[in-house]
Amino acid sequence: MSVWNPENVTDVAESIGIASLNRDVVEHLARDVEYRMSQVLNEALKFMRHGKRTTLTTQDVSQALRLLDVEPLYGYESTRPLRFGEASIGPGQPLFYVEDEEVDFEKLINAPLPKVPREMSFTAHWLAVEGVQPSIPQNPLTDPRSAELAAKGSSANSTLAAVSGNDNVTVKPLVKHVLSKELQLYFERICGAILDEGNDEYRSAAFASLRTDTGLHQLIPYFVQFVADKVTHNLKSIFILSQSMQLLAALLDNQSLYLAPYVPGIVPSILTCLVGKHLGNPAMDGATTHFALRDYSASLLSKIARQYGPSSSTLKPRIARSCLKHFLDSHKPFGTHYGAVLGLTMIAGAQGVRALILPNLKTYDLHLREGMKDDGKREQADYVVQAILRGLQTLQEDAVVTATSNGHPEGDALKERLVEAVGEVVGGRVYDSGRQDLINAVMEKDPAV
Amino acid sequence: MAVQPPPPSRTGSVGPASAGGMNTPTAGTPVSQGPGAGSNQNLNQIVLEYLSKKGYSRTEAMLRRESGNVTFDANGQPITFDDKFKGRRWHEAYNVVKVWVDSILDIYKSELTRILWPLFVHCFIETIADCFPGEGRFFFNECRKPFDDEHSDDLRELSNIQEPEHVQQNDIAQLYRTNKYRLTLSKMGFATLIEFLETKEGEGGKSINFLINNHLDVRTVDRAAIGGARGLQRLMEEKQGDEQAPAEDEGIPGHHPGSANLNPDATGALHRLQLAPLPMEVDLMDDVKAELSHEDSSRPPRQGRSTLVEQFEQRIKVEPSDDTAPSRDSIPFPPSTARDVAMEVQKVKENRDRFRIEGKTGGVGPGVSVTMFTFHNTFDSVNCIEFSDDNTLAAIGTAESSAGLPSFIITTTYRAFGPVYALSFSPSAAIPAPPTNGHTDHPTSPDSHPRYMLSSSADTTIRLWSLDTWTNLVVYRSHNSPVWDVRFCPHGHYFASASADRTARLWSTPQIAPLRIFAGHDSDVETVAWHPNGAYVFTGAGVGDKTIRMWSIAQGTQARIFTGHAGNITAIACAPNGHVVASADDKGVIILWDLRTGRLVKRMRGHGAGGIWSLDWSVESTVLVSGGADNSVRVWDVQPSKETHPKVNGENGGVAKIDGATANGGAAAGKVAKAKGREQSTADMISDFKTKKSPVYKVRFTQMNLVVAGGAYLP
Repeated sequence: MSVWNPENVTDVAESIGIASLNRDVVEHLARDVEYRMSQVLNEALKFMRHGKRTTLTTQDVSQALRLLDVEPLYGYESTRPLRFGEASIGPGQPLFYVEDEEVDFEKLINAPLPKVPREMSFTAHWLAVEGVQPSIPQNPLTDPRSAELAAKGSSANSTLAAVSGNDNVTVKPLVKHVLSKELQLYFERICGAILDEGNDEYRSAAFASLRTDTGLHQLIPYFVQFVADKVTHNLKSIFILSQSMQLLAALLDNQSLYLAPYVPGIVPSILTCLVGKHLGNPAMDGATTHFALRDYSASLLSKIARQYGPSSSTLKPRIARSCLKHFLDSHKPFGTHYGAVLGLTMIAGAQGVRALILPNLKTYDLHLREGMKDDGKREQADYVVQAILRGLQTLQEDAVVTATSNGHPEGDALKERLVEAVGEVVGGRVYDSGRQDLINAVMEKDPAV
Repeated sequence: MAVQPPPPSRTGSVGPASAGGMNTPTAGTPVSQGPGAGSNQNLNQIVLEYLSKKGYSRTEAMLRRESGNVTFDANGQPITFDDKFKGRRWHEAYNVVKVWVDSILDIYKSELTRILWPLFVHCFIETIADCFPGEGRFFFNECRKPFDDEHSDDLRELSNIQEPEHVQQNDIAQLYRTNKYRLTLSKMGFATLIEFLETKEGEGGKSINFLINNHLDVRTVDRAAIGGARGLQRLMEEKQGDEQAPAEDEGIPGHHPGSANLNPDATGALHRLQLAPLPMEVDLMDDVKAELSHEDSSRPPRQGRSTLVEQFEQRIKVEPSDDTAPSRDSIPFPPSTARDVAMEVQKVKENRDRFRIEGKTGGVGPGVSVTMFTFHNTFDSVNCIEFSDDNTLAAIGTAESSAGLPSFIITTTYRAFGPVYALSFSPSAAIPAPPTNGHTDHPTSPDSHPRYMLSSSADTTIRLWSLDTWTNLVVYRSHNSPVWDVRFCPHGHYFASASADRTARLWSTPQIAPLRIFAGHDSDVETVAWHPNGAYVFTGAGVGDKTIRMWSIAQGTQARIFTGHAGNITAIACAPNGHVVASADDKGVIILWDLRTGRLVKRMRGHGAGGIWSLDWSVESTVLVSGGADNSVRVWDVQPSKETHPKVNGENGGVAKIDGATANGGAAAGKVAKAKGREQSTADMISDFKTKKSPVYKVRFTQMNLVVAGGAYLP
């Protein structure tokens, strides 16, 4: 008669020592239990509604119990919904219970701390400007027809209105990304050809194909993945690294491809080739070959920044930040510093050099001098100095032509000032170059002066 | 068996003596001493004497009552009802009426359909009260269908009533039993109903008649007198649209439309309201004027712009209307400070420079700009969002008992002791900082921040927080249930709170005890709002009551009561011009009410179910904006349209004409949409801005007519 099984009442009665209960009483009690439960649920729903939620939580129920002057149930406090297990106690008689996992204490203690939940934050965007909803990523995609209709103020067509009203029921098609056999074959061949060290012709043909073919869009994610794979696993091989970079360069060159969505996936691989700690095998390739790779990566990076920087406001700052981090880390080898300086110069231009490199040169000088003293590292340090000088040159190109050299002292005094400004090694080099423009550019590092 | 009665009396509270429909002196009683009528009476006498001797007074009373019910036939044998029939008595009776109403003439149908709901509730309650849980449940499930839309909440509360005690304890059941459900029928319609019931007397007509007499308050009106409102033409039109909506004067606390008077015999005269803005203090006004003229001379307005002083004069000018303003004496405020002067000046400035929204012109609504603040990583724990008047602070109240101000979220997390359900900032305005040495460091002066914030929580307290020291200043305790809503008076100093204890209370910040207790709602007071002049408070209640009431804070009495919502009231907002109030429920309906006449202006549909959490009006009171759980911000035209014209009764026919004259513009557009039949949203929706999976908790018009919306992203 009631949803609540009267046998439950009998069980409870027996458990507290009441052996025989009248059938009527049992049924009556069962109905009462059911009513009380619905009462609690109705109260809990009230709390859910005021919490502006659509899922009932255990906290709502305990609040409701408190409101009804009942002692709350403890032990069910959880932010996640409860998991229910199902067991069968007979044919067609499922029994539901709250799943309570057994936890190995040893494991629990030794387990790493769980991730800290992310801090609550907020963002602002325009939901509508003068009655029109801008199509920016923060706003949902709208059917242009229904948007137009809504703007007119009459959703006369009921089906359209229904569409716009229920648009949160999006059906996600579970279609797998199907690659045709030809494309798969093509992909394998290209990858094989690119990594074929012995066959130059084959390789250049592959690059040419990548540069010009139009139907490669489906393969981009695979190529990006391929590059990422090769770069992470073959840091010792300058050849594979540089081939990977060239593969990316070829893809970037291809006019028919739209790479913007993949840029975040590409950049890490390039950064690895730019500022990686140990690239290549010094014993096999020589100690300085990796500088060429770094040069190439830097130019690739600057190309990406130029091409996609305007459409993604955070791209350039992100790259610059990671470059700067590597530059300031004195534990990294000179190769990394070289790459970082190069990257900064390419990405941020004269402004970046002025704001990010110049102020740090004085401290970096300490590290540089040590490098110069050490025979093993002198060559590498020299490259860094070259890179820095190159960066400083961009300053010179950018500098406002003031021709106020008379503001600076001459001779040793000038050198002293330079050393004071940018450190001994670089300052010396700048002075030695004797180029007045360059000196000026370096000296006026503080644009406010 | 006959000597059994005493034992049950000890456990009398477990079940009624007649549980299972067993009547003590039924035919089954093994009465051995001859079945004569006299001996039966004697037996009863003996038992009664025995009971009174033993002091079983309750059992005795029960027996007396039950034996009184038993009628005896010619032979003196008690006539027993067939139990099965008895349990289904109300069901049969209801069915008879239902079938009749379904097949009746169309002109009566729509009004008589309305009577089915109260009859359904009472039939169900009576069946349960007669101890037939099985039949009651069967009846309930069988017949609930037509009411699923309109009365879903009531149905949910009623659905689990199974025992007579539950009827005693259930709020909704009690509400229906102790009050008379008021309903207005035409004279002819009611007469046909009664006639029909009389012809069906034996088949349940009597029972229904009993219900109508005891639990319903049917008002009859002459169809001719109602004229348009329930006339034939009106009824035909209605068939496509509002059929499901309850009439304005229908429902439990039946009232005179437009007055708060619950006494049905009271006159329909309306309380005069004081709807004009609160007059400004004379000193303050002089100061503000001086400040404005100084401002005007130092920074003369651009060509074609009015000066600030002119603007101000226009604002405070007393319009030749019949509105009276509440006097400052009846609502005392602390003396104004320099900050108040600066705030007033800023308000005048913003008012002049605002983006003007002129209402719907030629079918195309004004272009409203909306800035959306989306909160991330909330895990659905945000209960409310509030923006300060100066647009510099936003506060969120969360389920984890803290109200954090996002800009200070790391440094200061306020700890309350239960989920925070509402927040409210004291009034403020974005006062520009005085320039120092030619340039400003901050766009606004520190003076412009709101000083205080209120929070209300499930721990039954309201807390006042200082935004200067970021600490809790006062805990206001008086409510004895969770406080659902709290709101500062538009002029500060006072605030109103709404609680699950069915009261709303008025407080002033310096006092820890409430100044007024507004009692009258029959269920939780869910939300509270202020009239812009600070002399009235609006409260809205949830399931069971569903009314909006307007209280005068000076008298502490009800000034108006509005019925017509079918769901829980979730938001109320009064227009800045002080004449119209908008209310929204969780069924997605927004209703506009005229305060002066106390009537419904129009019903606006469009939001999905799940609650409209917030409403706000543009500065000119021309446009209403709403935000809700269906992830959208919608803009509404508030011009009264013809279709959704208030249903008016004969007594107030004159009022309807006045309303008719004001209906314009929108009517034409409305008609077009109407012709297409029943659609999802009414034609007065100007635009609908969807958010990306973010329910909108708060919408607010700034003084410059920009809409600020707040929501939480729930992936």
